[in-house]
Amino acid sequence: MTATHATAHSEDTESKAGPAEVVAPRRSWLHSRKLRTTGFHLTASLLSALWLLPIVLVLITSTRTFDDIAAHGVGSWPHSFTFDSFRQAWVDGGQQRALINSMLVTIPTVALSLGLASMAAFALSRYDMPFRRVLLLLMLGGNLLPPQILLIPVSKLSEVLGIYDQLYALIGVQVGFGVGFYVFVLHGFMRSIPGEIQQAAVIDGAGPWQIYWRIILPLARPALAALTALSFTWIFNDLLWAITVLRTDTQMPITASLIGLQGQYVSMWNVIAAGSVIAAAPTVAVFLRFQRHFVAGLNLGAVK
Amino acid sequence: MTAFNATRRRFLIGTGAVGAGALLSSCVTQSPSASGGKSGGPVTLQSNLSSPQAKTAMEQIVAAFGKRGDTKAQLNTVASETFRTQLPTYLTSANPPDAYTWYPGSVAESYAKKDLLLELDDIWTKPELAGYSDALKKLCTSASSGKKVFVPTSYYWWGMFYRKSNFAKWGVQEPKTWDEFLDLCDKLKSKGVAPIGLGAGGDTPWVASAWFDYLNIRVNGATYHRELLAGKHRFDDPEVRKVFDKWDEARPYFDPNGTAIPFQDATTALLQGRTGMMLIGTFFADAAPKDALGDLDFFQFPIIDPKVPVAEEAPTDGYFASARTKRADGVKELLRYLATAESQELYIKSSSGTVLPTHPDAKDAGTPLVAKGRKLVESAAEITQFFNRDSSDALQPTADTALVHYLAKPKEIGSILTTWQRSAQKIWSQ
Amino acid sequence: MALIGSTRRSRATRVPPVVLAFVLIPLLAEAFWVFWPALQGFYLSLTSWDGLAAPKFVGLGNYSEMVHDAVFRTAAINTVLWLLLFGGLSAALGLGAAMLLQKERRGIGFYRAALFLPVVFSLVATALVWQAMYQPDGLINNVLEAVGLGGWKHAWLADQDTAFYAVIVPALWRQVGYVMVLYLAGLKGIDPALYEAAKVDGASRWQQFRFVTLPQLRSVNAVVLSVIVIDSLRSFDVVWALTRGGPYHSSELLSTYMYSTAFQSLRLGYGSALAVVIFVLAFGVIVSYLVRAFREAD
Repeated sequence: MTATHATAHSEDTESKAGPAEVVAPRRSWLHSRKLRTTGFHLTASLLSALWLLPIVLVLITSTRTFDDIAAHGVGSWPHSFTFDSFRQAWVDGGQQRALINSMLVTIPTVALSLGLASMAAFALSRYDMPFRRVLLLLMLGGNLLPPQILLIPVSKLSEVLGIYDQLYALIGVQVGFGVGFYVFVLHGFMRSIPGEIQQAAVIDGAGPWQIYWRIILPLARPALAALTALSFTWIFNDLLWAITVLRTDTQMPITASLIGLQGQYVSMWNVIAAGSVIAAAPTVAVFLRFQRHFVAGLNLGAVK
Repeated sequence: MTAFNATRRRFLIGTGAVGAGALLSSCVTQSPSASGGKSGGPVTLQSNLSSPQAKTAMEQIVAAFGKRGDTKAQLNTVASETFRTQLPTYLTSANPPDAYTWYPGSVAESYAKKDLLLELDDIWTKPELAGYSDALKKLCTSASSGKKVFVPTSYYWWGMFYRKSNFAKWGVQEPKTWDEFLDLCDKLKSKGVAPIGLGAGGDTPWVASAWFDYLNIRVNGATYHRELLAGKHRFDDPEVRKVFDKWDEARPYFDPNGTAIPFQDATTALLQGRTGMMLIGTFFADAAPKDALGDLDFFQFPIIDPKVPVAEEAPTDGYFASARTKRADGVKELLRYLATAESQELYIKSSSGTVLPTHPDAKDAGTPLVAKGRKLVESAAEITQFFNRDSSDALQPTADTALVHYLAKPKEIGSILTTWQRSAQKIWSQ
Repeated sequence: MALIGSTRRSRATRVPPVVLAFVLIPLLAEAFWVFWPALQGFYLSLTSWDGLAAPKFVGLGNYSEMVHDAVFRTAAINTVLWLLLFGGLSAALGLGAAMLLQKERRGIGFYRAALFLPVVFSLVATALVWQAMYQPDGLINNVLEAVGLGGWKHAWLADQDTAFYAVIVPALWRQVGYVMVLYLAGLKGIDPALYEAAKVDGASRWQQFRFVTLPQLRSVNAVVLSVIVIDSLRSFDVVWALTRGGPYHSSELLSTYMYSTAFQSLRLGYGSALAVVIFVLAFGVIVSYLVRAFREAD
C-alpha cells in the first residue's frame, strides 16, 4: 500500500512499475530517494517549526518576569525564568475560578447534548418517524445559524428567566445550540447499523429504551467518542455565548476570563501569557490524548 | 411524497410563525419592573478599579465594611475598559449590580436623566457627608432632578510625570512656560529619548483627550472648554483649530509608538527611560511597581498664554447606585461607609496612595508628590474633570477617533474636525 | 410485516410513543434556545430598542439607516474581503499542507499534529499570543529589524492600513490545520489506480493534480467551502480580542459591529438588523449545505 502511494506521488518518473525495480543506476536512485526524504523532512520541519513558533513564544513569555519584559521588550530573548506569572494568573487573575467554571459548564453540556442528541438520532434513524428528514434538517439548521441573530434575545431571555449571569443559562444555550449538529452526525452513523439487531431485540421483548441503551448506544461508541472530543473543545473554547449571558467576573469561564485578564494586566505580558497557557492546557491535553477521535470526528460531520 | 411533505412543512412553518409572532410581543421585550424593595444577599459593588494595587485596596475596603455590621458587600472587579463599555448594559439590566464606581458631573447626569440612578438625598444629610464642600455637593447633584445621585470619595490630578533620576541623568529641569517645554523636548530628543510619551493605543485611546483638554484650557480657557463639551460651540470653530496648531508644535516630540500602546505600556516605557515624560493622571501609579513611586515627580502642564486663568484637570471619583436595586438600604449603608474618612484613608494606604480624599478630615498619603499635587489643585483658578466626565460617555469615542486620527494624519485636521463636529452633533441632539 | 420492513430499510415502522419523546425533548430544547430567539431576533430588527423602555416599531427603518451607514459599508466590505482572503488562503494552504503531508511515513504524525495544534486553542488565547508578537517591541518587529527589513516595521494592530491583515494571520494560522485534516481525508479516498492510469498516459505531476486530484476532491471542496463561509461570517473571537474592530473600524466585521452596536451602544434594534444581514449572507450556504445533507439523509 505504501509502495503504491510512493509510486503515485513520487517525482521520480523513472520508477513506474514497482518500488523495488529500478531503471537508473542503483546508487543515484538511493541518493535521490534519500535526498527527497531529507527534502521532505526539511520542508515539513520548517513548516512545523513556523507553526509552533507562536506557541513556543507564549511558553517562554510566561516564564519571564515582568521586570525582564519591561526592560528588554516583549519580543526579546528571555533573561529570566520564573513560575510566578502562573501563580499571579491563577490566584490574582482568577484563572483558577475560571477554569472551574469552564469545567462546570463544559462537562454537563457535553453529557447533556450528546445524551439528548443520541436519543433524537436513535429515534430518527431507527424508527419511521413522520417528518423525519424535516426534523433532522431543522435541527441541523439551528446549528448553522449565525449566533448573532440569537445574542440579544437569548440574553434578554435569560434575564427574564432569572438565570442571567448564571452558568445554567450558558449550559442551556450551549446545549440548545449544539444539539442539532450532533443529532445529524449520530443519525448518519446510527442508520448504518443493520436492522436485524434491532429486530432481534424486539422479538426478545426489549422496549425502545432498552434497545437504545443496550444495543444502539454501545454500537455508536466510536462516533460518540469522536464527538465528545470535538464538543469538549468547542464548548470549552467558546467566547461569544459566555460574554453574552454572563456578567460577573467570578462566573466567567476561562476563555472569557482571559479577555478580562488581559484588561487587568494590560502590559504584563508574562501574566497574560501564563493565562493563555492555562486556558489552552485542557484542550491540548484532550487533543493529545484523543487525537484519533478528534480527526475522526472532524471527518464525520465536516462542519465547523 | 415530497410534495405532500412540502405542503405540510409549509403549513407547520406558517402556524409556527403566527404563534411565534403572538408570543413575541410578550416575553423578551418585557422590561422587568424596577423595585426598590428589600432582598437578601450581599450588596454587589461593580468596580472598574482593575489595576493591581487599586483592586487590592478595594478588597480591603469591602472586607472592612463587612466587619462593621450585618450588611455585607461583594466586590466584582471588571477590567477598566470593559466596564466603560458595559456600564450602560449593567444599569439597564433586570438584575443590575447595586453600586458602581464611576464619576460625577455631566457624565453621571446622562444616566440620571434616564432615571437609572438611585436618589441619595437622605444620606447626604448624614454626618459622613454633611461636611463636604459646596463644590462637591453641586457636582453630585443631578441637573435634571435636583437630587443627589453620587457619593464622591477621592480626586486626583493630571500632570507631566517624569522620573527624577532620569531627569537628573539627562541634566534637564522642569519647564514653566511653553517655550521652555519645547526646549526641554529638543534636549531630550538630542539624547536619543522620545521626549513625550503617550499611551493612547490598545484599549486606552482616551488618554489622548488629556492633551486636547489641557491645550484647550490653556489656549481658550476652561469656560470655553466646558461650553464646547456641552455643545455650545462647534469642533470646527477657529478656536479649536488654534488648539491643534499649538499641538502641532509639540507633535514631533511624541513617541512614535504613542498610539499603538495602552497607557500601562507607556508607563513602563517611561519608567524604563525610553520616554522622557508623559501627561497622565496619578492613576497610572496603581499599575506601576511600588518601588518606582519614590522616584516619580511631575510638573504642571506648561503655561501657554499668561492671560488665561490657570485651570487644572482634577477629576473626582466616587460611586453611584442603580435605581433598580433591590437592596436600597444596604447600598446606602455601603455608600455612607465609603464616604467616611476612615475608608478613604484605608484606600489610600492600600493603593499607590496617589489620590486625595474628598472627606475634609481624611489625611492623604503625605508624600512630597501628593503634597505637590494638592497644592497644584488648590492653586488652580478653575477645575475641569476630563473630557468624558465633562460631557458624556457617549461623546468620548468621538474624541478618541478624532485625536488618534489627528496623531496619525495631522494634515487632515480640517476634515477630522468636520467629522468630529458631525458625530458630536448626533450625540448632543439626543 | 416486520421482516419486509427490515429488508427494505433498517427502520421499524411502528413508532412507540416513548420514541417520540426521544425526539421531542431535544427538539424542544433547541426550539426554546435557538428557534424562538431567532424569530425574536428577526422581529427586533424591525424595532428601535434601547433595552429599557418598550421597543418602538420602525419597520424597515433600521435597514434604510444601514444603507447610509459608512461603518456598515466598511464592515460589509471587510467581511467579504475576510471571506475571500481567509477563505481562499486557508483552502489553498490547507490543501498544500495536506498534499505535503499525505504520505504515511515516519514522523508524519508529528508534523500533522503540529499544524493541527492551533485548532484546539481558543481563538482568544490565539489572539493574545499574536498580540504579543505584534507589539511595537514584539517578535515580528524584532525579526524584521534583525534581517535588515527595519523599514517594514509597523504598529501592526494600531495602524489603520495593517490592522485588518494583521488580524487575519492568527485566524489563518488556526484554520489551515483544520482544512488540512479535511483534505487529508479527501486525499486518502482517492483511488491510486487513477494516478497510475494518469502516469501511464504520461501526465506530469501538475497535470495529475489538475485532472485527478482536484476533480476527486470536489465533494471535500464543497464541505470546505461551507465550513469556510460559515466560519468567516461567524469570525468574532479573534477580531474582538485583538482590535475590537478598530483602529477606527478598519478591522470591523459585521459580527463585531453587530456586537458593539447591540451590547455597547445599546441599540438593540439596529444590532438585530445587522444580525439579520449576517444571516442573509449565510443563508445561501446554509441552504446548500442542508440540501446536500437532505440527499444524504436517506
